Order: sequence, then C-alpha cells, then structure tokens
Amino acid sequence: MEITRRSFLKIAGGTLAATGIGAGVGVRPAFAQPRKVRYAQEVPTICCYCGVGCGIIAHVKDGKVINTEGDPDHPINKGSLCPKGASLYQIANNEKRNQKVLYRAPGADAWKEVDWDWALTKITANLKKERDKGFISTNEKGELVNRFESVASIGGAALDNEEVYALTKMNRALGLVYVEHQARI
Amino acid sequence: MAEFIKLIDITKCTGCRGCQVACKQWNELAAEKTTFTGSLQNPDDLSYNTWTLIRFDEVEQNGKMNWLLRHDACMHCDWPACVKACPSPGALVKTDEGPVVHNTKFCIGCKSCIVACPFDIPRYSKEKENIAKCTLCYDRITDGKNPACVTACPTGCLTFGTKEEMLDKAAKRAEKIGGFIYPNNPKYETHVLYIMPGGLKVADYSHANPNPKMPTTLMWWKNLFKPFTLIGIGGVAGLAALHYLIKGPHRVHEKKEEGGE
Repeated sequence: MEITRRSFLKIAGGTLAATGIGAGVGVRPAFAQPRKVRYAQEVPTICCYCGVGCGIIAHVKDGKVINTEGDPDHPINKGSLCPKGASLYQIANNEKRNQKVLYRAPGADAWKEVDWDWALTKITANLKKERDKGFISTNEKGELVNRFESVASIGGAALDNEEVYALTKMNRALGLVYVEHQARI
Repeated sequence: MAEFIKLIDITKCTGCRGCQVACKQWNELAAEKTTFTGSLQNPDDLSYNTWTLIRFDEVEQNGKMNWLLRHDACMHCDWPACVKACPSPGALVKTDEGPVVHNTKFCIGCKSCIVACPFDIPRYSKEKENIAKCTLCYDRITDGKNPACVTACPTGCLTFGTKEEMLDKAAKRAEKIGGFIYPNNPKYETHVLYIMPGGLKVADYSHANPNPKMPTTLMWWKNLFKPFTLIGIGGVAGLAALHYLIKGPHRVHEKKEEGGE
C-alpha cells in the first residue's frame, strides 16, 4: 500500500485520537479565584444590634458596601460575630427593606409614598412647632437648663455607631432629654 | 503552601449559627424558605445554597436528654471520593492546601460526587444543573485569612491553622476532655477534624458517618474497569488504524458483482 500525504494524515489523526482518550484523563485546570474584597477599602464600624459593640469591617468598593465581616483586630470580638452581626451586610444591601419614605397621616388607615424632601420638611416643621411650645429654659430655682421634654428620640436597631453619634449630637443640640436606643433595651 | 486543617471542638459549640450566616454572607448564597421541624434544626438539611449548618440532635442518655450540636460541612478529604468519582476534569479539584473545591463552570451535573461522598455533602440544583458545597473559603485562605465560618465563631469552637499545629492541638484537647478525634482513620484523612466529647458515639450524631471510607464500587469502577475500557477502546482504534495501514480501505470485489448478474 502506498502512503500518500492524505492517508498519512488520516492515520496520524486516528492514532492521536486513540491515544488521546487515555491521555486526557487526569488533566486538572488550575483553580484560582482572587478574594472578592482584596482591592476594596476597609472601613471599621461597630455592630448596631446589641450593647456588646462588636467591631466590624465593611468592605467598600465604588461607594458600595460589598461585604461585611468581623474585625479580627477589634478587642471586643476579635473577629467573631453572632448570626445577627454576621448578616449586617443586608442593612446596606437588601431590596426587601423599604426603599421609599412611607407616611401615614393622622387618622389615615393606609401608608402613602412620599419623597425625602417632603418628609424632612414635615419632620422639621413639627419639631420646630413642638420645641417652640415646650422648651424649658430655666427650672424652678431659676437655673439655666435648656430642656426640651415634650419629644423623645428612639434610635432604631439598624442605625450604626456613626449614625447614632450624629443623631445624638442633633438631639442634644435641640435639648432632648429622653434619648434611647434599641441596643440598651 | 502549607496544608491547612479546620478543627471543630464540638464541646465548645453553643449553636448560635454565626458560622451558618457568615458562610451565606461570604459566599453570597440565597436565603431559603424553611419550615418548623420540631427542634431548633433550621434549615432542615444542607442544600445548594446552604453549605454549612448546625445539626441539633436530641438524644436520650442514661434517662436524661442530651442536646448535641454539630457544625456540619464538607470534610475536605485527603483522598476525596467526590474528586475520584467526578468524570469532568476541573469540576471538583483537590488543592494543595487541603480544600476540595468545586467549579460550576466545568460541572456537568452528573451527581456522581453526591453518590460517592461518604459524608453526604454535595448538593445538586435542578435550576442551575450543577452541584455546590463548602470550599473551605479557598479564596480567603490563599489570601492569608481564615475561612468565613472560623472568623465568625464567637466561642472558639472552630479554629483554623496549619496541619501540624492543629493535629497537635486536637490531640492535647482530646486528652484533656477525655474525648476522641473524629474521623481518626489513618487510611482516610480529612482536612476537617472534630473533637468529640467522651461518653458518646459518632453514631449518636445525625448525618455523621462513623466509618468514612472510599466506596468500594468506586474503586472497582475507577481503578479497574475504566483503565481496561480505555485500553480496549485504544486497542480497537489502534488495530483498526493498523489494519488500514496494511490492507488499505475496503473495496467491493468487481468480479463477484458481475457474476451475480
């Protein structure tokens, strides 16, 4: 039999296929995956949920929180977290939380969507009205106290350390006495 | 890189499920709708979106109720049955650091690993048509961090470190509390170790395999039948090629056709 160029290629291909079946077993592509927060900014914060005050690192990339985890260098928790603290990421990212401001007018039975501007203006106006009416500048002895007792502030469980700091600053500036937070309950 | 071990000191577990949530959070796994099962067990079992959970077992011991908690996840075997069973190269890979990682890109969804696993770990998704399981946070440990569950554990039940360090620690702790190390099988080493309290058997814990080993059928299939079949296929193809080389292509005899007319 005469071996031409075409038949040589056929034979070579057939042999390669036959041996290739065996040789193909055990091929292992490399598995490499960079840690998703490697190039993210690390922002330390405090867990908002209870009075323990565990340290948490929030990983921020392009202005968005992409991950939260326990801070291994924090003296209180040394990186560990309870299930509530471990789920802190969802305070920043969860489409099931309210995305819009809801308002229920006095006497109304349904919630209505309003925008932030309207809501903040309304709150400010109510606060101003109440403060003008109930502000106590001096007590019975005539000492300067500057109290505002007819309004109380209750911080929610999803407010973190920094937000609570800002809120308390504002409350004290107004003269509020009754300042409370979920973490103390 | 060094080999790593995740050590689970069962006696220190309080069942807070911090590891469970941290795992979901880091691996971005979807939440599950669960039902009440009569105990604290929630969710009921591992799934495609739940790679680790705490098993709550209520067993009766000397007339008293004993409440057993066990962190259950992939054991990252030294000689993994799932990797041996996997027909798609790269879908399940045994890494040098110890973890057995899955890669959904290469998974063909044949479920061989689910049948092979002695610890009943990999889970299949009908929608995604592939499997998923714990990876021991391979992306974290190669970056010098602890796995998400170990980082989150508040009681020190889960610890992570190099193989020598953890084996030493496990032996000391087991001796101190009068317990034992599981799985303590020199023929089937794993990169996750438990320290079990004394007075209990491994069988008391649900979903725990007291004697993990490579399935025998898998050994027959992969070590005997598969190589022989490959030799057979290769041999037939090789001989066919040889026949073609020597005899050339098949030709119909012209004489016979003429004679038939």
